[in-house]
Amino acid sequence: MTLAILLSKTNSLARTFACGAALCACIATPAYAAELRIALQDVETGQPLENAVVEVLLPVGLQSQFSAAADYSVDQVEKEFVANVTVIPVGSQVNFPNSDDILHHVYSFSPAKVFELPLYGNGQSVNFSEVFEQAGVVEIGCNIHDWMLGYIYVAQTSLAVKTDANGQAVISGVPAGEFRVKIWHPRAPAESAELEQSISFDDAQASNLRMALTLERDNRLRRAPNVSRTRYR
Amino acid sequence: MSRERVIDEVLSAVMAFFSFRSFRTRLLVFLLALLLPVLLGIYIFVNRENNQYTTDTIDSYLELGADVFDFTREEHKNTLLTITSTMTRDWGFRNAFGTGDPYTIIDAADNILLRSLGAADMMLISSMDGEVIIDTKIQGFERLEGEWLALMEEAASSDNGIGDAIINVLGVPYQITVIPLFLPTPVAWIFGGFPLDNTFTDTVKQSIVSDVSIVEYRNATSGAADINASEVEVIASTLRPADQVRLTAQLQRTGMTYTDTQRIMLEDGEYGTLMRSLYGEPGAPLQIVAVIQKSYNENIENLEAFQRVLLQFYLAVLALSLIAVVFLARSVTRPILDLAIRVKHIEEGDYGQSVMVRGKDEISQLAGSVNNMALGLAEKEKVRDLLGKVVSHEIAEELLSKKIELGGEEKVVTVLFADIKGFTTLCETSAPEAVLTVLNRYLSEITKVIEDNHGVVDKYTGDSVMALFGAPLTRPNDADNAVRAALAIQECMVELNSINRAEGMALMEAGIGIHTGLVVAGNLGSQNRLNYTVIGDSVNLSARLEGLTRKYNTPNIVSEVCLQHAQGFVYQELDVVQVAGKSEPVRIYQVIGAQEDVTPEQYEKIGVFAEALAAYRAQKWAQATQMFENLQLTLPAAERAESLYSVYLERMTYLHKRNLPEDWDAVFVFDRK
Repeated sequence: MTLAILLSKTNSLARTFACGAALCACIATPAYAAELRIALQDVETGQPLENAVVEVLLPVGLQSQFSAAADYSVDQVEKEFVANVTVIPVGSQVNFPNSDDILHHVYSFSPAKVFELPLYGNGQSVNFSEVFEQAGVVEIGCNIHDWMLGYIYVAQTSLAVKTDANGQAVISGVPAGEFRVKIWHPRAPAESAELEQSISFDDAQASNLRMALTLERDNRLRRAPNVSRTRYR
Repeated sequence: MSRERVIDEVLSAVMAFFSFRSFRTRLLVFLLALLLPVLLGIYIFVNRENNQYTTDTIDSYLELGADVFDFTREEHKNTLLTITSTMTRDWGFRNAFGTGDPYTIIDAADNILLRSLGAADMMLISSMDGEVIIDTKIQGFERLEGEWLALMEEAASSDNGIGDAIINVLGVPYQITVIPLFLPTPVAWIFGGFPLDNTFTDTVKQSIVSDVSIVEYRNATSGAADINASEVEVIASTLRPADQVRLTAQLQRTGMTYTDTQRIMLEDGEYGTLMRSLYGEPGAPLQIVAVIQKSYNENIENLEAFQRVLLQFYLAVLALSLIAVVFLARSVTRPILDLAIRVKHIEEGDYGQSVMVRGKDEISQLAGSVNNMALGLAEKEKVRDLLGKVVSHEIAEELLSKKIELGGEEKVVTVLFADIKGFTTLCETSAPEAVLTVLNRYLSEITKVIEDNHGVVDKYTGDSVMALFGAPLTRPNDADNAVRAALAIQECMVELNSINRAEGMALMEAGIGIHTGLVVAGNLGSQNRLNYTVIGDSVNLSARLEGLTRKYNTPNIVSEVCLQHAQGFVYQELDVVQVAGKSEPVRIYQVIGAQEDVTPEQYEKIGVFAEALAAYRAQKWAQATQMFENLQLTLPAAERAESLYSVYLERMTYLHKRNLPEDWDAVFVFDRK
């Protein structure tokens, strides 16, 4: 565990020892039973808030026990990123297939991950995978279709979820104790005190996070009226 | 001076001013007085309408120009937005921006400006919260401030993240637009701009065909809304530099109006000037306005051309009117002048030459009337002439002036009878034509003398004339006139006799009897044929007295009544007589002459005669005879046998033989006519 903590200090080594750390965790750590039940709303509309991400921020020492790098995929369908918001743990690899019959040019200039997948089409034998080694929000776009906007939420650990259409989500297997919990949404203001709060976790009883978020205006570019066409005639 | 008097004088002055010598002038002045105000009114009205039209035309030009200016600016703005939007989504620029390296980004920005072919002139990129990343104009601020910040906030609060404003960039007003840079979410603000400079104004001028200037009002005392203190500076203009100076000098500074057209005088004439606010509210310390200007010249030239045509038309109208007036006046005045000349002729007694009568108008009617009048006058004159020849002038007048009626009036008249003695001898010795000639000469002269002395010849009876003094017109000195006429007849007989003597004809003398008395004067005769005359005893007595001149061998005999009416003459008593048909004796006299004409010798003879007459009446025959004989000796030998004195001497030889009664009154009775 100590090793894991140590290892986790440097990002460069994290990948190398990820397997080992996970193994250690399986063996050495007890089962965590605390649970966070989440229900979010839009203040303005009163409607359930979908695609919000809630992450339990663990102390660095505990993080290694919850690392869960895996392979993810963000598809491009009908000139949109699917899913629009994808939550991945640090170190995960994300594949960007192209399901459209036109080419896409996926890019990100987000500090958490700058990358570019120059024009590629459906089924082209190119490696469309990117590994996200830094926590943070990566905004992905398409250079051909300016309105295409997707988010990859790179969480520190696996204790991060995305709310469903009902604005609900559950994070289980949280250790008992008091931790910071971070709430993120594409339209939530970047700097807001209420979006990060301390919550006590107890194995016997699930913690609840019920709140309404004040959202900013959607700055997303609008899709041109003729974008649904698939072929030039 | 009283008010009424002043008014009278003014009125008379006005009347004098309008009393023209000729009808033509009056007609002309009337026409001009009527026509000129109308023409002037039309001219003023048309001019005003034209000016209004010009003003309206220029105003609408300017409104349109200002709209096109706005439109052009909008177009430029959209172009700028298109450029910044499109070019900043270029992958190369995104990549460059993605590097986060300011030098790379500023180069990329410059690259975009180059690619815009001048449509964009500056670019500024800031972070979403206003941190300046790059500024191609290097204005020096690190965070957006002032208008830049306001523009960013305006864009941030708008739906599409787009905003625009005019911002002063290093002293030049720039049209600035801003859009977010999507990467793919908004990560930066891209400000693009182009200057509102001469290039821009030239471009606008091409579309609106009006001059365009960008003018800045800068208030020295910042914040005070005193435009008067502001400096006006032309930033860009299509005007020449000299005209730019004129513009800044004349451009309105107070009450910045963006709807009213100002008139500004530039080098080549007046320009309609309309302002559009580009930057800053009215009264703000810094204001930038667009000034659209359109020259009035073209319209004024049109207007002047129109005015010239109008004036030419006026001149033509006036000339035609004048000609028409002259002809009209002539058509009126010529017949009137003809009439005037004609009337003047009539006035002078010339009734001939009738006036031509043309047409049926009033003047023609007048001419016809004048002709008729002339005919009437001529006829009347003819009658008067004839009447004057038949009767005396005064009687003719009397007859013509009154309604002729039978009957008369009683009045005191002095009646003079003049007879030519020796006429019978003339008839015997001369041819009838010569007799008539001589008689007419004598009668003419006598008539003239009588008329000269205000007498009226009543009738000619053979060789005698009957004249009236006091009828039909009574004068205060009728008797005087009669006596004076008698003396004058005697004088003119001398002259006539000298003519007769030269022609070898017999000489003649006049015998004149005068008496003053009551007569009846009037028209005598029948209804169809009248005679103005006088009748009565006095007339008869005058005739008797005239007859007595043959008895007494005197040229005239005047009755006592007449003498009493005509003092101032020297008379010599002749006798007291009782004429036939009269019971009362009449004292008769001979008028010797006017007092001043009578000589002392004559006076002496008169005195001696009076003594002799007294002796005769006293029946002192011897003494009387002696005295008469003495008097007779004073006469030439040829006249002694037939003289007044010889009458008495003869009478005394007869009386001497008679036994006269005790109360003999010395009245000599003439029982025959």
